[in-house]
Amino acid sequence: MSVRRLDPHAERARRNRLHPRHHEFARPAWRWTSADGVTRINPHALGAIGPNGLKRIDRSGAAVEASPVGGASTSAEPARRQVVIDQPEGHVVVVPELPEGRLNDHDRDLFGLARQLADGHDLAVTAVTFLNGVSGFEDAGADRVVDLSAMVTEGYDPETRLAALVDVEAALSPRHWIFADSLPDGGDLGRRLAARLLPQGASQGANASVGDARPATRVWQLSEGQTLSRAGDRQDILRDVARVLLALPECAEPVSETRHEARVIELATMGGELSSAANEVAASGVIDRGRVAVDPQEIPLAQAPFILSAGRGIGDWEGYHHAARVLGASEGASRVAVDDGYMPRSRQVGATGTFVTASCYVAVGISGAVQHLQGIAKCQRVIAINNDPSCDMVKRADLALIADGDAVLAAVCERLGQPRDQTGSDGSWTDEESRHAAA
Amino acid sequence: MLQTLLPILIFAALAVGAAGAVRRIRLWRQGRRTPMRWHRLALMPKRYLNDLHHVVARDKAIAHTHVATAGGFVAAMALALVVHGFGWRNPILGGLLLAASLCMFLGALAVNRRRIDPPPKLSKGPWQRLSKSLIAYSVGMFLVSLPLVGVAPTVLGGGVLAIVLAAVLVWGLLEMVVGMGWGGPMKHAFAGTFHLAFHRRPERFDDNHPDASPKKTHDVHRGSRSTALFPLDLTAKTLGVEKPADFQWEQLLGFDACVQCGRCQNVCPAYAAGQPLNPKKLIQDMVVGMAGGSDAGYAGSGHPQQAGGIEVGKPGFGNHRGGPTDAIVPQLVEAQTLWACTTCRACVEECPMMIEHVDAIVDMRRFITLERGETPEKGAAAIDNLIATDNPGGLDNASRLDWAADLELPRIQDRPEGVDVLLWLGDGAFDMRNQRTLRSLVKILRTGGVDFAVLGEEERDSGDVARRLGDEATFQRLAERNIATLSRYRFARIVTADPHSFHVLGREYGAFGGDYVVKHHSTFIAELFDGGRISVTAPTQAETVTYHDPCYLGRYNGEFAAPRQVLAALGLEVAEMERSGYRSRCCGGGGGAALSDVPGRARIPDMRMEDVRETGATTVAVACPQCTAMLEGVVEPRPRIRDLAEMVADALVEPTAATNATSAPSQSREEEPA
Amino acid sequence: MPQPDPQAAAGTPHDVKTAVLVSSGRHPVSGRAGRAREDARAVEMGLSLVGADLSLVHAGDPEQASLRESLEGYLGMYHGLDGGRPGDERDGQLSLLPLRAGEDAVPLLAAWLERSGVRLALTGQRAECGEGSGMVGYLLAERLGWAIATGVAAIERCDAESVTVLQALPQGQRRRLEIRLPCLIAVDAVAEAPRQSAFGPARRGRIETVDDLLPADESRLDTGSAGWQWQPARARPKRLKVVKSTNARDRFKAAAAKSSASGGQVLTDLSPEEAAEKLIDYLRAEKILAQDDQ
Repeated sequence: MSVRRLDPHAERARRNRLHPRHHEFARPAWRWTSADGVTRINPHALGAIGPNGLKRIDRSGAAVEASPVGGASTSAEPARRQVVIDQPEGHVVVVPELPEGRLNDHDRDLFGLARQLADGHDLAVTAVTFLNGVSGFEDAGADRVVDLSAMVTEGYDPETRLAALVDVEAALSPRHWIFADSLPDGGDLGRRLAARLLPQGASQGANASVGDARPATRVWQLSEGQTLSRAGDRQDILRDVARVLLALPECAEPVSETRHEARVIELATMGGELSSAANEVAASGVIDRGRVAVDPQEIPLAQAPFILSAGRGIGDWEGYHHAARVLGASEGASRVAVDDGYMPRSRQVGATGTFVTASCYVAVGISGAVQHLQGIAKCQRVIAINNDPSCDMVKRADLALIADGDAVLAAVCERLGQPRDQTGSDGSWTDEESRHAAA
Repeated sequence: MLQTLLPILIFAALAVGAAGAVRRIRLWRQGRRTPMRWHRLALMPKRYLNDLHHVVARDKAIAHTHVATAGGFVAAMALALVVHGFGWRNPILGGLLLAASLCMFLGALAVNRRRIDPPPKLSKGPWQRLSKSLIAYSVGMFLVSLPLVGVAPTVLGGGVLAIVLAAVLVWGLLEMVVGMGWGGPMKHAFAGTFHLAFHRRPERFDDNHPDASPKKTHDVHRGSRSTALFPLDLTAKTLGVEKPADFQWEQLLGFDACVQCGRCQNVCPAYAAGQPLNPKKLIQDMVVGMAGGSDAGYAGSGHPQQAGGIEVGKPGFGNHRGGPTDAIVPQLVEAQTLWACTTCRACVEECPMMIEHVDAIVDMRRFITLERGETPEKGAAAIDNLIATDNPGGLDNASRLDWAADLELPRIQDRPEGVDVLLWLGDGAFDMRNQRTLRSLVKILRTGGVDFAVLGEEERDSGDVARRLGDEATFQRLAERNIATLSRYRFARIVTADPHSFHVLGREYGAFGGDYVVKHHSTFIAELFDGGRISVTAPTQAETVTYHDPCYLGRYNGEFAAPRQVLAALGLEVAEMERSGYRSRCCGGGGGAALSDVPGRARIPDMRMEDVRETGATTVAVACPQCTAMLEGVVEPRPRIRDLAEMVADALVEPTAATNATSAPSQSREEEPA
Repeated sequence: MPQPDPQAAAGTPHDVKTAVLVSSGRHPVSGRAGRAREDARAVEMGLSLVGADLSLVHAGDPEQASLRESLEGYLGMYHGLDGGRPGDERDGQLSLLPLRAGEDAVPLLAAWLERSGVRLALTGQRAECGEGSGMVGYLLAERLGWAIATGVAAIERCDAESVTVLQALPQGQRRRLEIRLPCLIAVDAVAEAPRQSAFGPARRGRIETVDDLLPADESRLDTGSAGWQWQPARARPKRLKVVKSTNARDRFKAAAAKSSASGGQVLTDLSPEEAAEKLIDYLRAEKILAQDDQ
């Protein structure tokens, strides 16, 4: 290929719409409205040159949801600068969510927010965790770590956790508390703490500091010493930084340039008066009775994590239902399958049915009408099983298997040790449920 | 002996029949009372002979049969009363009586032949017996009257023959006179008489239209359509119909007039699709409710999918019970039956007794929606959206004109001096398919040099869906707001591409103080052609086209001609479907049926598409966004579906350059290539 | 979701006086007043628990024009109750605690809850207008010393001492909680959809103003929010993918890279068995199916 050179004259003419020769140089519009009111599209004028040198026009929607594969990020990430704060003036406490025992993106954003509050004021960002052995606090931006795992039990026990946090309050008197505003975890705990910290009768206005005693919820931005929190009815509240902040995802950029020491501290050494929830077991108001096994067919389609969806390509419906039971998947359907009466209307996926958010969506015998593809736009992984390699669903899918849907489902059941004729048609879903990894 | 027996028999039958009739009248009067208009009784004979007969005469053989039988019976009964009852034994009268009996006998024979192997639409049970009873009455009356003209021995009395003859005559009198009052098949004549006189929609009869030419048959409609739903008083104690006694008494009377001829069953799209609705059974259910009891005595086709099934005569009725003050749903009629109705009015159109099925269904829906809050899920969502956003999709009403961003549609807000045509977009403006139709319509209006404007985001849903789903409160709120909006602007007429808006704006807003000249776009385009304001090129290749009449344009508003004129102007041959015009089959999208989505054996649009395929047409012309959506939902391959506006716009000859420069939008560049 | 019939499971739930704290909702598209989505679900939950015995309470400005419209939305849900015998139904009743602009609702609501002997209070998680902080429930629970649980999807059973609920977790999962009475329950958006609000019951429902709860002279002004500035919500900026690198070439490459997916893998010419194996392998690799399957 020859080198493309810029012609400054042509560039000027192209930019200036009043230039007499503008039309010669202007790149053609790819869409316009003709004189008779019809929208015209010139397919030659849009699209992009793909890696193999061919022009590609991508209408599948795949590009929108996919995240770029970051090969470069591991190779050339610059070394982080080590930051040590020895004698902090005070603390900004972050209570991360730690789903599955790891810091997630939301947690890192909270630490980023905490750093904005701490830096320049000689404050330490202190992580409070109810779990043992969580890693990654150094890079996330925690100067101190308080491990409360000894004070709380596993499972959902917000009241004991609140008591533990009250201890932290007594020991550290943090300038700010930061929680993730997500229910039923951080948002719940943060509100409990805020309600506890708010002095009784504070709302009567006796105390001058009540202004910042009221928690700021749904905080999404910090700028110039004030926070923006999203209120109801399409409004934002701009206010001074509150003591307790419940922040939304992407409330701040995560820490990326510094590394912190994440030194573990013991509350007892920090002074203050421990009310010690650990000793005084209050009559618990909320008792965790454990997780409940949920029948995948009972989960509303919009929330189901794993969907096996059927379309016109299915001939053996009994086999399909069986496969859904064996895989432990929720059932979905294309519009045509519903119209033909094979599936109830409540199972229809797509713009005219339900928008689904499954992390894994298996489409069997669905060619992929536009409305259907719109309905699965938020699915992370899409698998297509279809006879027709040219259909739109195959183009959208992360994995496409060109084969007969009925036969594949039968083979899947066989392979998982539950061929259809051996188990009763009402095979139980619960045994498979237990084998599910938390998706 | 017979001479003495006959008067006793006749008067006894009349007395017993009258007692039954009084009881029957009491049953009707359980309904809500309305002011009595006795003078309407005088209108009855003409309504019977003219309006009712025209409907019956759509089937000539039945009409002749009915004329012979009913006419013969009425004459024979009247003469028998004089001759045998009062004993005026005049040979001329006797001869007339013989002739009447003979006429009735011939009719009865025809009825009987139809009953040998009755089509599935007919009810059996007592109705099978009726033809025999008719024969018995006519034969008995004939033989008994023979002595009057001296053909038979004057003294027929005595002997077995006389007893047999008397028995036959008693049978006939029991069925014809006593049964009329006490709820036998002949009840239809008695109830029908009063029903015709006190019909709730007198506009349907010719006597309300003095200019109606008697030459025209009823199939050519004379603007005598009365199709607007009755407004509901929202301050009433209970809203809608919960129990049979909540109907107006004229409605109960109407149900009682049903002859169970099954014409409604034959044309009902929901019944054909196997959805649990049979209009005939529904009316009989109402009769059961009015009189109290169970439907065990019903001998016709039931609601599909329910006890009794659709197989004719299959036993199994009796599970549904009702009484005048018992709730109808679900003991007597299941809710699914009411939600299956597409409000297409095919049943009302076919009914020779002019019974108003749709009114009854909407009345019962009103109770379910307004009092019980049990509208089918998607329907309830649509209503909630209408309340919150003024359109059933829950979309931002301000985005109503987004599709036309490049068309620079004139806003009526900018035209305080007024415009000729207010273009009512309807909710199709939110639907990408219908936006193509609207674009075409705008192009036609511009080419025709029509002075038009739109309301933009001030336009709201007309309230059609809410009203058919029974939510009269939401409908009235929308109607009042739309009327208030319209009252602020000046325009000569409203043109819309949506027959539902057309019907509601034109026919139903009147009751709320909104009187407008509303034209459907097919009518308006036909006028543009007539006025020579637009012209089209001849079609390049021959194509078979058929036209699907939208219910709310055709049956509801009588506009059958204009769409066909438009197609003719385009130079297209229309291959009519077997069911077209006033007998057009619904697409399945009306009355909120697309929202209630009652399951059936088949889908209504699929059946309609079969009708289209039978004509061999490659394109079906439509004139309604709802029909377009329903028919396009049929799985391909299928004929193309094109709105009349699209067909006209494609063939349009561009006007001269002078007008072009002002009306056509200039080429606009939108986006640079990506 | 398992939506057990609470009436059947519980002994006599009618003994537990139940109320729903309702607020005025805002439609997300039009901003028009109506039922708040979560509050409506709370009312649904309450109605299926105790039927028409459920009481409703709202603290708000009675002068506000749209208030009656939204409150009637809740009252319109009082149908299909009491065994579904028509004619037998009772109309809904709502206590309106008058509140002028700038006053704090918590003392009023707390006083009302105490006076009316409510032991189970249901509410949505967050109001749709005003601050919408979701704090009211927590402040009430703190003030009254009640237990509180949030994110509740269903009530399984209720007796005189405690209530057993299912709490909604992400992706349709559930956790069972037992909560001591009296308590406050914040209902999640995945709870059973509210029944339709019907015009008739809405029209008949009674709204009763209760204005003698607190001494009249007591100032209830809410000064906590004095320094706040309210502004129309701004669209949140989309986070840009910023690539950190010491090397200009890497940064440029990352910025210029097309964000196209790596592309789907298309496997043709498979026997059903091979396809099944590929599918199972993929599902296992993505941790949809557990590994330890034979």
